[in-house]
Amino acid sequence: MLTDLVSVVVNTIILGSIYGLVAIGMTLIYGTLRILDMSQGSMVMVGSFIGWGVLVVAGWNPILAILAAFIATFGLGALTQLVSVQPLMKRRNAIDFEMVTFITTFAVAMVLTNLALELLGPFQRNVTPVIAGGLSIHTVDLPYQSVAMAVVSIALMIGLGLFLARSRWGMAIRAVAQDLDAARLMGVPVGKLYPLTMGLASALAGVAGVFLGGLYFASPTAGDLPLLEALIVVIFGGLGSLPGTVYAAYAIGLIQAVAEAIVSVTWSLPILYGVILLVLIFRPYGLLGKPSEARL
Amino acid sequence: MTDSAVTERPGDPPTLERAAFGSMTTGRWALAAAAVLVAALIPLVLSSQYYLSVMVTTLILLVLNISWNFVLGVAGVWNFGQLAIYALGGYGAGIIMLHSSVSPWLALLAGGVVGTIAAVLLAFPTLRLYGIYTSLLTFAFAEVIQYVILNDGSGLTGGSFGLPAVSGLFGSLSPGAQNKAYYWTALAIVVAATLALAAVGQSGLGIALRGIRDAPGYAAARGVNPLRYRVIAFAISGFLAGIAGGLYVSAEGSIAPTVMGLTPMSVYVTMLVIGGLGTSTGPILGTILVQIVATVLITHPGAEFTILGLFLLVVVIFVPDGLTGLISRYARRLGAWVAEDEDDDADESTDDRAQDQPEGSPDPHVA
Repeated sequence: MLTDLVSVVVNTIILGSIYGLVAIGMTLIYGTLRILDMSQGSMVMVGSFIGWGVLVVAGWNPILAILAAFIATFGLGALTQLVSVQPLMKRRNAIDFEMVTFITTFAVAMVLTNLALELLGPFQRNVTPVIAGGLSIHTVDLPYQSVAMAVVSIALMIGLGLFLARSRWGMAIRAVAQDLDAARLMGVPVGKLYPLTMGLASALAGVAGVFLGGLYFASPTAGDLPLLEALIVVIFGGLGSLPGTVYAAYAIGLIQAVAEAIVSVTWSLPILYGVILLVLIFRPYGLLGKPSEARL
Repeated sequence: MTDSAVTERPGDPPTLERAAFGSMTTGRWALAAAAVLVAALIPLVLSSQYYLSVMVTTLILLVLNISWNFVLGVAGVWNFGQLAIYALGGYGAGIIMLHSSVSPWLALLAGGVVGTIAAVLLAFPTLRLYGIYTSLLTFAFAEVIQYVILNDGSGLTGGSFGLPAVSGLFGSLSPGAQNKAYYWTALAIVVAATLALAAVGQSGLGIALRGIRDAPGYAAARGVNPLRYRVIAFAISGFLAGIAGGLYVSAEGSIAPTVMGLTPMSVYVTMLVIGGLGTSTGPILGTILVQIVATVLITHPGAEFTILGLFLLVVVIFVPDGLTGLISRYARRLGAWVAEDEDDDADESTDDRAQDQPEGSPDPHVA
């Protein structure tokens, strides 16, 4: 019983932190650009391959791997915005913008995943953990990798919160999220802000990828499950609400940890989907989501 | 269509209802009939069983895509649960074919009924939501169905291995004859479905659906009940998707949970968007084009999906109305240009036949 309790608490914190890192990027993008960015899963995948390249192929320092993943996925995310979203910005009021960008970012994800498949093959590659070893609490194994990941995730989430609250660019992002036209009239450079936002969110996913690669594998489909989980978190929390996303990440981590402890690992995802169905039926905009009011 | 607008009273059904196939001129009917005739003759000429079975698969996918296009394009509801409805129809039909002695045609119909029920059950919670939430909820529904089937220990669905050895509609024929029989059956269903949904699209129901899609507030203010019409759209589309599933299980002889999921869905969405969402010919063009790419690149799945992804990106950004829109725009431009030259000729001789004229030809008189 104590073992179950310990494993539930530990898994909740770790799973929640992982989900939070990817999901918070999606929330940031949705809050600012009204885009559900389906390419975030591919950013996790790219991050895990960069982790593999730097740590295993080149044999360099883990910190370098995290930095490299951050920079590369930042660039890739900004590029994704320029290619798949920017051309549609002028027509944003004439089209179903949310749906069309959902499809274009999905197309980017398709291209990235399958380029990786074509270039690197369908193999699963082991990535050296950023930190080896682990400890054991009441017979529950806890790799340092997971601890490091939770710590880095929480640090990045706090860092993002401070960035949005205090820095000039962060305030600009929030201003655009609240009222695009007003922000533009106040001289916010919207054209630069959008790639920055998507780059930032993608970089978070890329860093998550380095850790997830160490926990599981680097493979072309490594981003699919994180994407699905992040989608669940984002809907559960309410699209566009940052606090909602953080609560939802840990709530979902808790549901999944309990489901794994009580039922079995194979049923944890269907149980999650069942919970989501119920939440959406009774709260169509998620826990803290608002139909179209100020977000972030 | 404008002439009778004056006589319309408030209670009347919309006037457009009278033009059942509004955009179809005699020339276009002839073209469509010729295309169906050519398609029907293919099995008599084609000797490769492999390509014939690829074509059977394509036709079954067409039935599915036509059903999906109705919800996605005409009704404008972003339903990503269609593959689950398709699979449920397939499993329903397959289980009846395996475990009972009723005619397989009745089992196929039962697949359609299962699809209808599943679609209507999905419609009620889904239609409370809007936009992106709809797509996520329906996708979650599809994932749950897939997981339930994958983890089904009762033996009814066969879990991850799927339903085995279903004898299908033409179990008594030789494999070669079966292929041909499925080809013609699927082709007949594709033609019937296209005509039926095109007629529905032009009827009061279709107008109501497009009204709700394009101007929800206005449509509701005019007394069009969004929930009612969209549930009807889900039911129609679900029936057709269930029939497609029944055809699949009977032509393939089996069905497994792999018919659902993100990968097949991304391919089918690509087909619909490339062809042109919400049009009658769009799904047909898109499905055939993407199937050709997929068949050519069958040994390079990575390259195949990279190309499809790029296609999708380019089409969505630069040609939002898909290939059908592109073709009809060029046809119209050519038609207008031809009509300038011979403005006293009949209308029918412009659009379709004018496409055959070389663009630089100074006087393209159509005989």
